[in-house]
Amino acid sequence: MMAGEMRKSALMAIDEINVSAEFDFVFEPHLRDPGGVVAAYHTACADLIREEQVDHIVGCYTSASRKQVIPIVERTERLLWHPARYEGFESSDNVIYVGAAPNQHVVPLVRHMLDHISHDVFCIGSNYVWTWETNRVIREIVTSAGGRILAERLLELGEPAVDHIVKEVMDRRPPVVINTLVGESSYAFMRALHQATSRAGLTIPMLSCSLCEPELKLIGSAASVGCITSSAYFESIERPENVGFVARWKARHGADSNPSVDGLSTYVCVMLLARAIRRAGSADVAAVRRAAANHRYESPQGPVWVDPENNHCFLTPRLARSVPGCQFRIFWEANAPERPDPYLSSLDLSTIGRRRETSNDRVSTGSNHLRVVK
Amino acid sequence: MTRQSPFSVRGRRALMVMKDEREIAIVRRQLGRLGITVSEHDPDDPPPPKDAADVVVFDADAIPIKSDLAAMWKTGAPIIALIGTETPSRLKWLLELQPASFLVKPLRSAGLYTALVVAFDCAQRRAEEANYVDRLEVRVRSRRVVFAAVLQVMNGHNLSEPDAFALIRQTAMRHRTTIERLSADIIALGGMPNRTTRSA
Repeated sequence: MMAGEMRKSALMAIDEINVSAEFDFVFEPHLRDPGGVVAAYHTACADLIREEQVDHIVGCYTSASRKQVIPIVERTERLLWHPARYEGFESSDNVIYVGAAPNQHVVPLVRHMLDHISHDVFCIGSNYVWTWETNRVIREIVTSAGGRILAERLLELGEPAVDHIVKEVMDRRPPVVINTLVGESSYAFMRALHQATSRAGLTIPMLSCSLCEPELKLIGSAASVGCITSSAYFESIERPENVGFVARWKARHGADSNPSVDGLSTYVCVMLLARAIRRAGSADVAAVRRAAANHRYESPQGPVWVDPENNHCFLTPRLARSVPGCQFRIFWEANAPERPDPYLSSLDLSTIGRRRETSNDRVSTGSNHLRVVK
Repeated sequence: MTRQSPFSVRGRRALMVMKDEREIAIVRRQLGRLGITVSEHDPDDPPPPKDAADVVVFDADAIPIKSDLAAMWKTGAPIIALIGTETPSRLKWLLELQPASFLVKPLRSAGLYTALVVAFDCAQRRAEEANYVDRLEVRVRSRRVVFAAVLQVMNGHNLSEPDAFALIRQTAMRHRTTIERLSADIIALGGMPNRTTRSA
């Protein structure tokens, strides 16, 4: 599903640039669909560079696919504009990382959990690199704050059989569940857990750092409600840039269609690229990379710019709760775009979520870079 | 024991535990140039017996961290790890395998020979260190025996402790045996053995 959302968003951005008087050039898109087959990304990327002579490539959702593409863009000095959030610990000169780094999505979520919900957490995720690394970060923060990982359960990617995990959660009744499942496994788990907790008259808070609006629809209106989600973008952001973006999205894709964080991030990739080309006066990769550095773009998700130290983006972390109508209600947002820290080298564990008495005013001093959004 | 030079790689056997066809082709070609016998092993299958290869070229990204297979690889021939993901969770898992050497992907022909030499040298040193530790452990375990023998010689010959130990050491040297073995003999015989023949 994400690939389709990302393609739709990229084409929308390209069309907007091509009709805009602000740009004296047009983009000519060349589309390739490796279909999630990891080895095919290398071939598709090589083909785009050798046959179509493209300088800039927008795409790749999974880390496995990005790692297929990086050798070619590095060897041929091209730029990959990568929209998806990922687990960090990478920084290529030939990639502009527009999705959230771990300090921009995992850390705020865990901080909120420790401050407001519980120090003891049950982790369930898909058995691949993003979950492994996200769980490691969660474990490091939680144990440093005096909390416990009650369990870490993994399902193979795409596995829809979740009953044994739901049963374990119902038996143990953890104070909170962090869900790093992706795709069908996540939807199945949320539906089954919702059914089980409803029947038992229980509420078990669930946390996610990947859920998006189109997924809420797939999960279903009842089971998708109440998930606390960390993301740099929600459709409900009330900035004029986003109100306009959502209106154009719905005009283009239908009133029932919803943008998503990964789609929006792809849109931002294309917009950052266009602005950098305009500033550089050419599409030359070295010139565009220089021009993109620190060049601020007022995007639907807030101001975004590339940090030339690591080629990741300054983004505004947000926390929201999923509500009826397949939307998110935002309740926290950073008061300024946060510097990307792909290696979590600035993570200071001593400042996060120590066990203590919490009250609303003390929480706001404890998390001084977060503020309440009314 | 003759020490095989880590620089002579010809004739050794490498096992490729990899998935990516392009990387397999690069490694196979370069190992072939070096005169190494190459075989492949599917990362989804359980590991082969320990002595199936002299070195294992192991794609660290090919095996899920949390799987039964992961633990089974913690054994056997020196491992050259091929690293794509530098996340601490993956590296922590990799450290458990005690890789003797590593290469960072994307692979190219350069670097593989260095990785092999480092791996063979590392494996050799590890074997020698393990051997040395074994010998030390035997000596540590024999300490009570040596102590008892020293006491016996002190009493039987009316000697101080340093003199009793010196006598045992000199006798052991003359008999071409170890202090530990001679001590065991002293305890078994109830006194210093009276022999002139070499024991070993």
